[in-house]
Amino acid sequence: MGNKMNLPIMKLILWFFMLFTLSGCFGGREINDLEIVIGIGVDKNESAGNILLTAQIVKENETGGTGKDGGGEDKAFWNVNSTGNSIFEAVRQITHKTGNRLFISHNQAVIFGKDIASEGLEKYIDFFLRAHEMRPTALILIAEDRASDVMDAKPETKKFPAVNIEKLVESYAFTSHLYKVNMKDFASCMMSDTKAPMAPLVSVMQDKENKDIYVSGLAVFKKGRMVGKLNEDEVRGLLWVLGKVKSGVITVSSPNEQGSAVLEILSAKSKVTPELKDKRIVMHIKIKEESSLSEQTTTENLATDSAFERMQKASAEIIRQEILAAFDKSKELNADIFGFGEMLHKKYGNEWKALKDNWDDLYPSVELKIDVESKIIKTDLLKKPAWQSEGGK
Amino acid sequence: MFRYIYRKIRCSLLKNIEKRMHQDALAGKNNSEPIFPDLKRNLEAIKGILHNSSDVTIHEFNFGHDRRFKGAVIFINSMADKGEINKNILEPLMYGALLLKKDADIDFTDIDCVRKNLIPITDSRKVTLFNDLIECLLAGSTILLIDGSKEALVINSGKRESRAIDEPVTEVVVRGPREGFNENVNVSIALIRRKIKDPDLCVEKMIIGDKSKTDVYIVYIKSVADPKLIEEVRRRLNRIKIDAILESGYIEQFIEDSSYSIFPTVSNSEKPDRVAAKILEGRAAILVDGTPFALIVPMLFIESFQSSEDYYSRPFHASIMRIVRFLSYIISILGPAIYVALTVFHQEMIPTQLLISIAEGREKVPFPAILEAFLMMFTFDILREAGVRLPKSVGQTIGIVGAIVLGQASVEAGLISPIMVIVVSATAIASFTVPAQTDSGTILRYIYLVLAGLAGGFGVIMGLLVTLFHMASLRSFGVPYLWPVVPFDFSSLKDVFIRMPLWKLKKRTKVIVYDGSDSYKRNPG
Repeated sequence: MGNKMNLPIMKLILWFFMLFTLSGCFGGREINDLEIVIGIGVDKNESAGNILLTAQIVKENETGGTGKDGGGEDKAFWNVNSTGNSIFEAVRQITHKTGNRLFISHNQAVIFGKDIASEGLEKYIDFFLRAHEMRPTALILIAEDRASDVMDAKPETKKFPAVNIEKLVESYAFTSHLYKVNMKDFASCMMSDTKAPMAPLVSVMQDKENKDIYVSGLAVFKKGRMVGKLNEDEVRGLLWVLGKVKSGVITVSSPNEQGSAVLEILSAKSKVTPELKDKRIVMHIKIKEESSLSEQTTTENLATDSAFERMQKASAEIIRQEILAAFDKSKELNADIFGFGEMLHKKYGNEWKALKDNWDDLYPSVELKIDVESKIIKTDLLKKPAWQSEGGK
Repeated sequence: MFRYIYRKIRCSLLKNIEKRMHQDALAGKNNSEPIFPDLKRNLEAIKGILHNSSDVTIHEFNFGHDRRFKGAVIFINSMADKGEINKNILEPLMYGALLLKKDADIDFTDIDCVRKNLIPITDSRKVTLFNDLIECLLAGSTILLIDGSKEALVINSGKRESRAIDEPVTEVVVRGPREGFNENVNVSIALIRRKIKDPDLCVEKMIIGDKSKTDVYIVYIKSVADPKLIEEVRRRLNRIKIDAILESGYIEQFIEDSSYSIFPTVSNSEKPDRVAAKILEGRAAILVDGTPFALIVPMLFIESFQSSEDYYSRPFHASIMRIVRFLSYIISILGPAIYVALTVFHQEMIPTQLLISIAEGREKVPFPAILEAFLMMFTFDILREAGVRLPKSVGQTIGIVGAIVLGQASVEAGLISPIMVIVVSATAIASFTVPAQTDSGTILRYIYLVLAGLAGGFGVIMGLLVTLFHMASLRSFGVPYLWPVVPFDFSSLKDVFIRMPLWKLKKRTKVIVYDGSDSYKRNPG
């Protein structure tokens, strides 16, 4: 009996032994030993082949929290630079300056300089996808110039440039002039055979003494290399097709051509149906958009059926033009930003095998059939303008 | 897991107890001599047994028409009511007897006759053995011995100093009766009787403690309580061999199921309404003379979260408060552990802004987070202990020292981070919402903290699992401790996490109530 009873005890001892030896996260690190990285910028170094890495680190003593008369001039962050032949080498090189290993779990954004992007991102993005501390939801951005300049621009209302950039990208929904792209999205586009990866563009604007960060437009990649940019209208054209437009402003001229009516997009839906017949590829794009009249610069009463009709027509035409502009740009860059290739793949699995290999040649020949249904559903708080023209009713 | 070791220990303990009981039984025999018919001899014997103790008064007197009868009253000065002895024992014997006809047919050597005709006190009885005589004398009774009689009369003339019925300090309620038990067990029983006027309410007396001879009462309702439960309570109480029972806690430690568990399996209360409610559910209450705390068995874990007030206020607020209690219990055992696990092992789980403010606060702190937490928790426990022991007039000082010196100054000095102060104080406050589990919670809090410091969230989860296994294996007088959650009983969840309206709680607690009883009505508590 004694032997039988010993077994559970042995199991228990073994179990506790395993508890403290096999636990993967056995090595804890105190917060004091962390260098919390909230943003990373990657640029090309002057000497060829080298990388200039800028890590934005939280300065714990300067964030002005605990009762100190929070140093107004001092920055709450510290941009540390290091160079190396690879990102990881540069990341480790930084410990010569910081004393602690970087903690990149809270990295908000990775910003690549323009030179890196046009050379090809595939060489540099591997580390960010492979490192276990890195979040796949970290944003990816492309700087119009150098990433380190973007990291240096101290925002007026936020403490950290990287957090500010994240906020700017998150607010894309107000204009639909850019799109939020994170590491995971970017990587899955890169893995796709046809779809072109994109990333929002960030630039520094000199405004008197202050440097402001401005995020707008998308950089378009093909085979890992940045091949061009979409401007604000083109981005919205792209988002119409993808059904990602959340809100934004459409300005149409008022029915009597004396001023303009400003519409705010309330909702938008899209449906894209590919059609393949006689080697012709036709994409049927159906957009349903709803908007409200948010501002008018004329004194005529726009809240009439006929005025609505005309404004709806005009806004549908603008949407159509934006889509066409985006499509023209993509044809020019020969980059499938809409993901038409994948749509075809899904619907015409067998035929796709033949199309796949020369998709680059086929893409410019794709035809679009655009059908936009635009509707104004409300006029916000005013039914009539406060000052009506004498001719108006 | 631990059961093997536990059984071995238990087995050897039981063996020891049995051996001792046997020896005691042998030793107990020689004392019970009968009372002699000779008064002088009896008095000598009593003096001998009590070692001429100075507070024992032996008053000899003569009575009867020609003063030919000799008698003696023996009592303990401090416990007996001398006025009553003079008025109701000596006076009737010495003067009252003179009013009888000279040739009246009264034999004063017959104790029964004296009791029936001359002693105007209700509570008196005959004893024939020295043992019983001494026992009653020490309990505060007055002994009447008459020369020529082989019996003695025990007259309960004891006057007992007793506290007034007060509001209990430990179980304060906003709504509900404010009376509490007191040290006089008779008062406590009266309070229960006043709540339950049922002929089935049984009060069984037992005397426990070789030296203290403490009165212990089992109180239950015969038609509701399981006879097996009552039998088991009796059995466990009978097994107690101890010199003295000074508080019901002594009994608790002897009768509880798992002496090596940190969780209590016997509940206690000093409120008659609460005890009455438990008795009405089929539980047994054990009242001990000399303490206001009554024990109640069996105990379920969820009882710790049920306050008597839950049933007096309307169900909505009561349900919310119960959820609050559950959450605070979780906070009180896991608060510091989760904080340490997150900040040392899983920093990626903290929102960025929060991490930055935590990092700010910890910037100057020279200790690892676990040591910081340990220091703070230990300080709190010191403060609490000191606060309990200090006289009330000095108590304020502790508050000031605690709040300003230890709270604010330690943060300003950079010894403790402000967030740790928040975590530990929130934990401390939360731990008082569940008074029945405060003791176990304090121990668990330290265990989980160590596990969190060693292995992070993984360690905490493992610790929680082991605790849960252990709790699921616990039983209190045959009732699963975690019932109705383990084993699961859906229909009994009406009074666990939320409290349904009283008219919905039709059935008594299923695992406790006796099968034969009428189970349609229920008096929760």
